Amino acid sequence: MNTRFGIRLLLTTLCLLTGCVTATVDEMVFNEPTEGIGDSTVVILGRRHASDYETEPDFIRCVGKHISSRDRSIEVMGELEFINELYPWFEPRTAPLRPQDIDKLMVHPPVAAKMAELKTEYMIWIDGSTVQTNSAGSMTCGIGPGGAGCFGFGTWGNAANYEATIWDFTDRAEVGRVNTTASGQSYMPAVVIPIPIIAPVQGTACDGIGDQLLEFLSSEY
Amino acid sequence: MSGSTIFAQNRRMNGLTGCTGIMRWALLAAALAMVSGCGPRQVIVEGNFPTPLMSPLPLTMGVWYDEEFSTHEFFDEAKGRADSSWIVKTGQAQTQMWDIVLAGMFRELVHMKGAPSEGQLNQVVDAVLIPHVDELQYAIPAHTNVKVYEIWMRYRIDMVTTSGEPIGSWTMTSYGKTPTAFLQSDEAAVNLAAVVALRDAGANFISNFSRVPEVREWQERRSRPPSSTPITADPDQPAPVASEQSAVE
Repeated sequence: MNTRFGIRLLLTTLCLLTGCVTATVDEMVFNEPTEGIGDSTVVILGRRHASDYETEPDFIRCVGKHISSRDRSIEVMGELEFINELYPWFEPRTAPLRPQDIDKLMVHPPVAAKMAELKTEYMIWIDGSTVQTNSAGSMTCGIGPGGAGCFGFGTWGNAANYEATIWDFTDRAEVGRVNTTASGQSYMPAVVIPIPIIAPVQGTACDGIGDQLLEFLSSEY
Repeated sequence: MSGSTIFAQNRRMNGLTGCTGIMRWALLAAALAMVSGCGPRQVIVEGNFPTPLMSPLPLTMGVWYDEEFSTHEFFDEAKGRADSSWIVKTGQAQTQMWDIVLAGMFRELVHMKGAPSEGQLNQVVDAVLIPHVDELQYAIPAHTNVKVYEIWMRYRIDMVTTSGEPIGSWTMTSYGKTPTAFLQSDEAAVNLAAVVALRDAGANFISNFSRVPEVREWQERRSRPPSSTPITADPDQPAPVASEQSAVE
């Protein structure tokens, strides 16, 4: 009984300790597959052309996991595995920027053979990043013979903006675009022990974009 | 009684000695930590590089890595007290990456026994590539306030015959960056950025090798049939032999 109460209390505390996040998802889709994608595979890749930011590999992994965990029939190929198999054709310098550029890649017989072997039906490009927008407060920590502790208060804001572009690999066409933005404020009050109240901004953006992609790819959603 | 007092004193002395020993070790550890904090931050670049997916060019290509290249390292001295010096050792990763890229790019890759020159006995190859790192620059978030770690390199590639005669020489750049990540050290991030830069160097070389004017001319010369000069005993006579040869070719 005590253990159950303890778990409930812990879960309630954890819920309360999560900062608030606001998320918006925009979707524009054409030619949605009605029967799902069958035994074909999907690959999710991060765009890494911008000089001042980079789409986080963790975010790409998160979206892939979100899709494959909710519909196990969808095979999502790992980003690194895919770009290694097709090296050097999907490096930031050489990656196709438009669906029509795929034809230039398919001129190389080994690339065409590898693509056929991988059964890649959809290629999803994600571009964006999560940034810290503001921060305020101060905290002092000290250590002495009697122990250690912190005192103060800190707060910071995060904003995420990601856009996923879906390419139909067979038709060499863009078939959809999903945009998600999320923002949230995190807090860290400290009276002896710092208590972080983190707003899961990137995680919310991942769930938002993952759900929309799932609706596109899965026959069950 | 006195014996027990002496014993007690000894024990106190031992205790004091033990205490001093611990203090000494603690001070030594603290001093070492401070000294190591002052030393340069070192990154020995390590990574795995994939084999290029392409039809190999029909060439037997030689490669020669000089010592400066195979042990290449970059040292950046700290500008101020708040900064730290950096040593980025890329030599081993460079040779590893170029070996994989060149082996996948050409029908055969041969490591030369010595630097190509007139007196040097070397294996028979179509040409020899000699890569050099002319410049390396890095940036970490502490320098730029941008949340990415960056490595930029400029290479000079010399292409020569086995006897060292130049065929072509060109420069190319490569760039790698990686975002900041939770619980990722500066060293790990610089290593990752360097691996991305090396991959980019391979991609740049593969996609532009045949577009280098000197290389293109050399390839055209190789694919052209050898020019035949008509050799006739009588200058007034036409050169039927040469014409026949041309027809066959």
